Amino acid sequence: MMRDENNKEMHNKKHAKVGEDSSPALLRFINRFWFQMWRGNPPGPILVILGLVVALLMSIPIFYVVWRSIFAGADSWLRLLDGRIPQLLWNTLSLTVAVTVAAVVIGVTLAWIVIRTDLPGKKAWQWLLALPLVIPPYVGAVTYIIVFGRSGWARDVWESIPFFTAILGDYNLNIYSFFGVFLVLTMFTYPYVFLIVSASLRRMNKNYEEVARSQGFSTAQVFWKVNLPMLRPAIGAGAILISLYVLSDFGAIAMLRYVTFTAAIYFQRASFDTASASVLSLVLILLTMVILWIEVISRKKSKYYQTANTFREPDTLALGKWKPLAIIYVSVVFFFSVFLPIAVLIYWTSIGIGLDALDSRFFEYAWNSVKVSGLAALAAMILSLPVIYLKSRYPSPISTAIDKMSYAGYALPGVIVALGMVFIFNTHIPSLYNTFYVIIIAFVIRFLPQAMQAGEASLSLVSPRIDEAARSLGSPPWKVMVKVILPSIMPGVLAGGALVFVSSIKELPATLMLRPPGFDTLAVRVYYNASEAIYYQAAPGALLIVLVSLIPLRYLLKKY
Amino acid sequence: MNKKLKFLLFALLSLSVLFVAACGDNEAEEEGTDGNTEEETTDSDSEQDGDAVGDDLDGELVVYSSRNEVFVQALLDKFEEDTGVEVRALHGADPLQVEEEAANVQADIFISNDIGGLEYLNQNGLLQGGEYENVDTIDEQYRAENNEWVAISTRARGFIYNKDMMSEDEVPTKMEDLLDPKWADVENGYVITRGGNGGMIGNVSALRYEWGDEKTAEWVEAIQQNASGILEGHGDIRRAVGSGEYAFGLVNNYYYHQQLEEPTDNNVGFVYADQGEGEMGAIANAAGLGMVEGAPNDENAKAFMDWILQEENQLEFVGESLEVPINPDLDPPFEDAVSVNELQLQDMPLKELGNYFEDTVSLIEDAGLDLELR
Repeated sequence: MMRDENNKEMHNKKHAKVGEDSSPALLRFINRFWFQMWRGNPPGPILVILGLVVALLMSIPIFYVVWRSIFAGADSWLRLLDGRIPQLLWNTLSLTVAVTVAAVVIGVTLAWIVIRTDLPGKKAWQWLLALPLVIPPYVGAVTYIIVFGRSGWARDVWESIPFFTAILGDYNLNIYSFFGVFLVLTMFTYPYVFLIVSASLRRMNKNYEEVARSQGFSTAQVFWKVNLPMLRPAIGAGAILISLYVLSDFGAIAMLRYVTFTAAIYFQRASFDTASASVLSLVLILLTMVILWIEVISRKKSKYYQTANTFREPDTLALGKWKPLAIIYVSVVFFFSVFLPIAVLIYWTSIGIGLDALDSRFFEYAWNSVKVSGLAALAAMILSLPVIYLKSRYPSPISTAIDKMSYAGYALPGVIVALGMVFIFNTHIPSLYNTFYVIIIAFVIRFLPQAMQAGEASLSLVSPRIDEAARSLGSPPWKVMVKVILPSIMPGVLAGGALVFVSSIKELPATLMLRPPGFDTLAVRVYYNASEAIYYQAAPGALLIVLVSLIPLRYLLKKY
Repeated sequence: MNKKLKFLLFALLSLSVLFVAACGDNEAEEEGTDGNTEEETTDSDSEQDGDAVGDDLDGELVVYSSRNEVFVQALLDKFEEDTGVEVRALHGADPLQVEEEAANVQADIFISNDIGGLEYLNQNGLLQGGEYENVDTIDEQYRAENNEWVAISTRARGFIYNKDMMSEDEVPTKMEDLLDPKWADVENGYVITRGGNGGMIGNVSALRYEWGDEKTAEWVEAIQQNASGILEGHGDIRRAVGSGEYAFGLVNNYYYHQQLEEPTDNNVGFVYADQGEGEMGAIANAAGLGMVEGAPNDENAKAFMDWILQEENQLEFVGESLEVPINPDLDPPFEDAVSVNELQLQDMPLKELGNYFEDTVSLIEDAGLDLELR
């Protein structure tokens, strides 16, 4: 049917063009190609151009970095390949694998205990254990340094207990080590796995387990043979999120004196060895792409079905004699990932308030943070619209490409986005260079997909018939989007804006690299004060960031 | 709950709209002040009296600084107070940023912890000279030819050590000692800064001047292998040695002064390096500042140079860093500071550091010390 219509339409066009000077054959070819690409329903030029502009904006910095790295010169490449890259690869990969494995183990076990057993207070644990999500790992790192550093609280406690010093010797935990980084990153990233796996466990059908049990499987066997394989997609999704996070983290890693690719790029950039910085960036981009590729592969291979119509909620298992152990385990994780950091922050904040840390400077930094994050959220909400609208209503290779390109800055570490932006603005757009607008643009590039995902979820609930009705009354597609669709998807768009706002408030590496003179944000101050060991000044800002991050938690919990 | 969330989000959105409006205002203001500074250029030329510095100034001053923020911010606040000029500071800046921005100059003043960085910029024509009031109080060897940079305070390198962990005669006495791997075996080991640190760059340059590249490269490799800690800055070192994390560390003398003033963890001592007969003398460096060529707010930058050379402000520059002022008429803020004259210093003119800067940076990079943290 559709094809016929197309043909007819093209037929008419051909008639109309007969006798014109330009080459009708070529025009016809382009025209047909264009129609086929959009499956006979092309959007107006304004919408396409809007989408393309957004996509370009999102991905140009990355392309620029790649471009620069290719022309960094054989010399830089050889020097780095020879000395630096192998060591960095080892540092980065060993940390990524270790954190991912540990976070998966913690996340899966916690989810299983909380969802499937009769743990006391399981409803409360469901969100208590997700709370580490609101603590950015660099803030977590500060608190761990305060507690476990060589002159930290833990040492004082240790030395006040003669038993420890007598049997185990002096306090000897070095937080500035692989173990320290590993501990901090694991403690503040496991909720990704916990949330995704919890959701998946809740949807799991009792029937499969009953079959297994009827065959004489024990609870442990059911877990390994039935539950775990069913959870594989959820675990995989969580693991990918965590490994991408570890690849991109700068703050916690730098504070704990560990060097991965991200930190190396930052330091190379800070000493203006831009050639090396871009070479290392290319390697990091490749690493990220490998991980994303693994995700695509694993998704294709595995197909899991839950039968929906006979769904029965699985039984709650009695913990029995394991109950005390389960409670201790859950409490210990909660203690180290939520209670301890928050307690440390509150303690030092109260000292800070006593020492007048909340002076006018502090509020200036807070204001700067809110200003750039708020504007970034606003820009992200607006820019996400044409992309999601094209993707949802006009599916075609072009809209897919626009969608994918918009994800470039989201998947890749912030240092790379910032590096590309420094290049571009210093050489090509000098009037904006060293203004806070550059930070805003970086935030949009990094976090636009958060706004897109939230908007898409809302848009999928609005029937395309509404669009068609509006179109039939003669409005061009972009006008339909603004006047008809936008009002009905506003809640989703706003939720997306809130997500972008919070992510921007927390963002550290790009802000550090792009901030103009005299424009520090809370995140930058937390990083600086913590590295100078001025904890009473670092804590209030960190606590404020944590509080702001609570805003979209509900949304995040619902999403998984 | 859904309503609440919506309200919150709405509030957020309207706030952001407000910001946009606010930013628009800012811009208008900035344009206005730009206009003012231009007017100022015509009539403030006649103002050369030291005391009058700061009268009739307006607008802003952009300062890049590689010195510790704690030392510099108070100084900049004082300038802001004295003159009404709004100072925008970028702390932790690298001299190479000035070079990268040469076509799009952002900074008016560069304050550096390392004369090598300043002289490097000067040799590349990125600083501009000038005749400043009171500049004669600084000995000529501590200034560039046309005052493209002026050093204000000086320091010498040596070893800070924790007195609970070792006695003075157990501490190394010269730089050369660190070639010996035995220092790795001291209890808790020793600590150095990352190779990207300005002070470390100056140190390596001085050794290259003294020893040549080969031996210096060996030295860099030796400390990289044998040090138990490699930290981001010297402040980290003094705190870590003070608390007993490490037995001793390689720092500038004033970090020792600072640690002595801490309420706790202050049982530290200091050994100036290479003081023995026939040894090269302690490696000296200085902190100073220069005016950037093509500075966007050049009138304010000149005023800043004049202002900082006033004696009270020279002392303010030294400030809490507890370094030793170069001006011999000034009393060091740290009373027991060993005066520069009493020390045996390396005979390298500080300007030489500029000739060594670039190659030193690549030597450190080749060793990988710039990226090492532990």
